[in-house]
Amino acid sequence: MKKLILLFSMAGLLAGCGATTSIDEYRPSNSIMEINSDESVVILGRRDAGHYDTDREFISCVSGKMKGADIGVVPEQQFIDSIYPWFEPRTAPKGLKRLTRLMQDPDIKSQVDMQKIRYLVWLDGSTETDNQGGSISCAIGPGGGGCFGFAQWEKSSVYEAIVWDLKDFSEKGRLRVDSAGTSYLIGAVAPIPLLTPVKKDACSSLGKQLKKFFTVQDQME
Amino acid sequence: MQTTKISLIATLFALLVITGCSSSAQVQVERKFPTVVSKPKAVSASIIFNDEFKAYVATPNKNTSIDIGSAQTILLSNAFKGLFDNIEFISSEDQVSFENALVITPSVQEVQVSTPSDTYLNVYEVWIKYSLDIQTSKGDQIDNWFMPAYGKTPDSFMLSKTNAIEEAAVIALRDAGAKLLLDFYRIPSIYNWLIRERRRGDEQ
Repeated sequence: MKKLILLFSMAGLLAGCGATTSIDEYRPSNSIMEINSDESVVILGRRDAGHYDTDREFISCVSGKMKGADIGVVPEQQFIDSIYPWFEPRTAPKGLKRLTRLMQDPDIKSQVDMQKIRYLVWLDGSTETDNQGGSISCAIGPGGGGCFGFAQWEKSSVYEAIVWDLKDFSEKGRLRVDSAGTSYLIGAVAPIPLLTPVKKDACSSLGKQLKKFFTVQDQME
Repeated sequence: MQTTKISLIATLFALLVITGCSSSAQVQVERKFPTVVSKPKAVSASIIFNDEFKAYVATPNKNTSIDIGSAQTILLSNAFKGLFDNIEFISSEDQVSFENALVITPSVQEVQVSTPSDTYLNVYEVWIKYSLDIQTSKGDQIDNWFMPAYGKTPDSFMLSKTNAIEEAAVIALRDAGAKLLLDFYRIPSIYNWLIRERRRGDEQ
């Protein structure tokens, strides 16, 4: 009976560590994305904001989730290096007008064409930690050591993806993912972390939705 | 005997933990930089990378040193090649061999670093302030252009302070290359010099 109660309480605690994720999608038209099997997409992070940086780890996570779509994914750094310095934080186009002007340069265009890149996906956002509470202290001595206490913190991930088509320099859609959850650290001699995978959830939700963008409908069903 | 051994191990472990928390960072920037995608203008230039610039080690604070000398030389050489179609890299003014050319001497004015513990932001930041002394090959001063560059990187959980500062310094160096290519021909004095040179070429 005791074992059963312990099992239920552990299950309850772990269930409490789930993230709440919502995803919004906007497309200017319902038409299916034009995709050619030899064309590629590149997922790029916006890095021009002052207080945060869209981290590379998140970009590569989303790129990984896109595997299996009807389009190849070019690694972010490979693309940025191939047309250095036109996609650095200072120079990257913030709008379609600037992109159109940039692509009028034959040297830049040839580099993009060489990699057969059809779509650019801009990811902008970050994961923040707030509402930290509780305290935990650890001590070590000749007779042994341990941690005692309880700590909790909330994490929230907000990311927006914008899809640009390099064929006609138009915006093909926008996705926004919001994910939030609370993590706990229990110090009962050994520290027991109960972490909510907020960022991971945001990544897989965004990746799955983006994959749908670039997958022909009948293959998805 | 057993207690002494445990105490010794515990003390060593505590020392190791304290050393690990040390906030000093010696950073050596060793990265390969990409070739620039830019069509150079029909302008000749002599770029002076003196020994001080090539071996520059910044000490933004007493706990941090960043060796950017070789990385900045590689990066700026690359960027200058995207600006001028006729270019020479020399180490002092007496080696200038071009006649109607720009003579550019880059130097570092200051390097600043900020860490999450300084700003309470979740990023590491590096500022590199360059100054470009621009003259003609005859020795006439054209400009002394101030060129700030900035790089920041997220504070990752597993990223050490050294790695984070190196990452931010690499981004700042790449930013310097981008700023140079983007803004060099927009400097009014350079623009006017180019027009004067073109006119003189047309007249001859």
